[in-house]
Amino acid sequence: MRALAFKKTRALLVLVVVSAGLALTSSAASAAVVSIELCAVPGTATLTGAVTVPIWGFDEPATPGDCSTAVASLPGPVLDVDEGDDVTINVTNALPAGHTIRFEVPGIDFAAGPADVDVGDTVSRTFTASAAGTYLYQSGGDGGRQAAMGLYGALLVRPATANQAYDSAATAYDVEATLVLSAVDPAFNQAADQNAFNMYQYRATYWLINGEAYPDTAPGITAAAGDQVLLRYLNAGFDNTTMQLLGMHEHVVARDARLLNNPFDANAETIPAGATEDAIATVPDAAAPSTNGFPLYNRQLHLTNGVQNEGDPTPAGGGGMLTFIHP
Amino acid sequence: MTQRIRRLVLVVALAAGSAVLAQGHAGALPAGAAKIGMICTVPTTPATFNLVANTGFIDTPDGNSVFMWSYANADAPDNGHFQTPGPVLCVNEGQTVTVNLHNTLPEATSIVFPGQEGVTTSGGSGGLFTAEAAASNGDVSYSFTASAPGTYLYESGSDPSKQIQMGLYGALIVRPTLGANYAYNAATQFDPSREYLLLLSEIDPALHHAVETSGTYDFNAMRNRYFPINGREFPDTLQDNGTGLLPNQPYGALVRLQPNTVTNNQPALIRMINAGTLNHPFHPHGNHTREIAQDGRLVASTEHFAETIGSGQTQDFLLRWDDPDHWAPNPPPGQQLPVPQPNYRDLMFKDGNTFYSGNPYLGYKGTLPTGTVSQNICGEWYFPLHSHALNEFANFDEAFGGMATLLRVDPPGGCFGFPASTSIVGGTLKSGTSAALGLDDASYYQVNPKTTTRPSPTTIGQTSITVASAAGFPASGTYYVRIDNEVLQVTGGQGTTTWTVARGQLGTAAATHLSGATISALANDWYASLTGVPTGAQNFKVTYKGKNCGNTTGTACTAIPSNLPQQTVKICNWTIAGAAGCSSSTSAGWVTLPAPPAQPQAVGSTDVTSTWTLSGSASAYIGTGSYKGQVRVLVHTQRWTAPAPTTFSTWGNLMTLVYDAP
Repeated sequence: MRALAFKKTRALLVLVVVSAGLALTSSAASAAVVSIELCAVPGTATLTGAVTVPIWGFDEPATPGDCSTAVASLPGPVLDVDEGDDVTINVTNALPAGHTIRFEVPGIDFAAGPADVDVGDTVSRTFTASAAGTYLYQSGGDGGRQAAMGLYGALLVRPATANQAYDSAATAYDVEATLVLSAVDPAFNQAADQNAFNMYQYRATYWLINGEAYPDTAPGITAAAGDQVLLRYLNAGFDNTTMQLLGMHEHVVARDARLLNNPFDANAETIPAGATEDAIATVPDAAAPSTNGFPLYNRQLHLTNGVQNEGDPTPAGGGGMLTFIHP
Repeated sequence: MTQRIRRLVLVVALAAGSAVLAQGHAGALPAGAAKIGMICTVPTTPATFNLVANTGFIDTPDGNSVFMWSYANADAPDNGHFQTPGPVLCVNEGQTVTVNLHNTLPEATSIVFPGQEGVTTSGGSGGLFTAEAAASNGDVSYSFTASAPGTYLYESGSDPSKQIQMGLYGALIVRPTLGANYAYNAATQFDPSREYLLLLSEIDPALHHAVETSGTYDFNAMRNRYFPINGREFPDTLQDNGTGLLPNQPYGALVRLQPNTVTNNQPALIRMINAGTLNHPFHPHGNHTREIAQDGRLVASTEHFAETIGSGQTQDFLLRWDDPDHWAPNPPPGQQLPVPQPNYRDLMFKDGNTFYSGNPYLGYKGTLPTGTVSQNICGEWYFPLHSHALNEFANFDEAFGGMATLLRVDPPGGCFGFPASTSIVGGTLKSGTSAALGLDDASYYQVNPKTTTRPSPTTIGQTSITVASAAGFPASGTYYVRIDNEVLQVTGGQGTTTWTVARGQLGTAAATHLSGATISALANDWYASLTGVPTGAQNFKVTYKGKNCGNTTGTACTAIPSNLPQQTVKICNWTIAGAAGCSSSTSAGWVTLPAPPAQPQAVGSTDVTSTWTLSGSASAYIGTGSYKGQVRVLVHTQRWTAPAPTTFSTWGNLMTLVYDAP
């Protein structure tokens, strides 16, 4: 499961004071200049260990600009920067011919410059990560079809204080879980030409957290009684997705990378398509509903894997957009 | 189409005779359950519920029948007969709740309790989300402390994509320690007689048919066609709780309010639960609703005329009906309706049915085009309360139907009626019509005492006199009359033209009187008939406002400074002697309205207003047969105190009847 958040290589540059006497103030601790390389490449994903589908996904190449060794991941890698960082994302398009990428991160204000990346080209997008939060990066190319093929991932901007989601102490956490929610229609992914696919016929049959369907979402989220668990939801799918949590409430603190003036408790919270939400769940000192732990799952009840051709949709062992919080 | 019309017409038939409608089985609801509003399941042992998961069919308004699974209450009078949704479980904050589940379904099932912490289980076998009861008569028990007040959902935790769609859900209500008339804290007080539950769900009949016939169940191909509230689709949502028309769907969804007043100032509480998988944008017409909580937790309150309730979410709303416009048929300047009313001949109604009374003012009925069937009872208002996803405002894509109910606003205090006619049984008309009794204004219904004449002279001592006519004088009992300056008491021969009299009564002296002398009654009797009162109306409140004046001619009111007339207001009890029992002032059917205020009352020349209450069923006071819907109220006024009372006229200003409509 590609849920690990690994730090990117940082190019730490010492700020040079210009001889004209300008003093540049640094905003917070360790505001840095960061460069991130991304390749958009075709690849495959194996769903529930049984079905392999073509995907288009992002990867970070070993050599900047060289996508020959990049391997598409579903979702793309978690990008991790600090509040105040000056970030440049270099996006190289290694998709098949005819698919121009449009690189977007809703909520991030990029510096002026092209967003479209033709096949074979690299485009740089620059921004200052001025606001902490959970952001969804994606390609908006081909009218949404590229996102349906898998070109999305999480961008986390961390505040100066460690173990907080935002600058508010009310967003402190002990355990962090980034949950990219999405879906796959294998018939769409397997089509010879996605641009010719009739999207009215799109019907997803796999429902994923971080690219996996239960039971492959194991080991789930490890947290003990009393822990505050930060649930970063990113809805990279196409429909409103409701996540229900049994055995505890989650405290919704932010939507679309902005703190709420009136945070509230929920046990079934709907994240619209394309949106992000942050919730803090406190693990109670009480029995979990299940021997598997506290269920966190899709309340549209997409707990099924693949085509349905029998009488019982949910595998006895569980399926779909489901995971557990457990000690 | 025909089915739906039949159901609409039957709303009226039910209002007329719901007590008579035969039921297919003993009923899922506790005895005496209210016809409108949320119904709590009463556990035999506090906070222990015995549920059974079983199968059954529901009726839809377009004539369809759909196979469902649901939870039923094994302790109900009908011993766990199928019902959908599951029973409403009501518990108190801090109680330990035990739910025992017996499973008759062909696969394992269970219950999960979103929003509850520390749910423990016993029995059953471990499942994906919780312990399960085995197929075909397995059992499992759940236990938890209801630590936080609020509105919650309970639902299956087994094979949820199938079992929740099939109907395995219900409501759990936790009442705060503060009291059952609070939703959460002191700021969420509500009127406990106005508590409503709207549990939303969705039905894909093709998926249900697959389960019924052991076919392929493709959840990814789900396409919902029916959108129930409390297990019923509009217009079935308007039927009473426990209606015999829908034996497997016991909960109605009509929301019924009265405008807030100084004495009736608490809002209604509407608890909403979305057991489906779709978000539903719910939309009240009329006033805004105030959202106070989500998922059993208070939120900063906001007002809405559209609020989306998400899948699995609960929301609580307070609803006040304030009447800031005060539009009334006889309003002060500046409070008339801002637009002219349409001519009733220009009104058209879908399928010839309407909930409109024909008059836009609250509590008044008017004229409707010929052939229109009105479901309106007493001039109340109806507003739709519905999902604004308009495909859900339909039954299998035919409007109107689906996820909709009505908000019914009764007149303040309840339905009311005014006299349609009057009848004088002891007296003569001085001026005015029954219309004068409709409004508290300067217009009065004025009655003079009955008079007759002596056809011959009267000696000072005779105790038997003949009169020209006894009509309009009491036919029984003793009473006083006046001739010139003498008051006589009639002690015999009542109803005939030969009276036995006692002379010189009430401080007057016996005297001779000329032939042709006028004999005046010292009492007035008249009754008003109010019509259109529905069978099943309850809790009558009769209000009468009137005065008495010393003159029997002219338009001014001469004051009566002393010997104030004694007024008794009575109501006709038809069951005593039928119509004959209420035909004259002394007939046996008149029942004095009970204190408070006590009667008789002394009423002089200033209007006196009194309201009498008859609690409970009013069936004895509502006429039947050719007097169907008629209520008669008698005003008897007599001036029989010393010294020397003179004749007077009775002036009636206002008479109204307020009642709880069925």
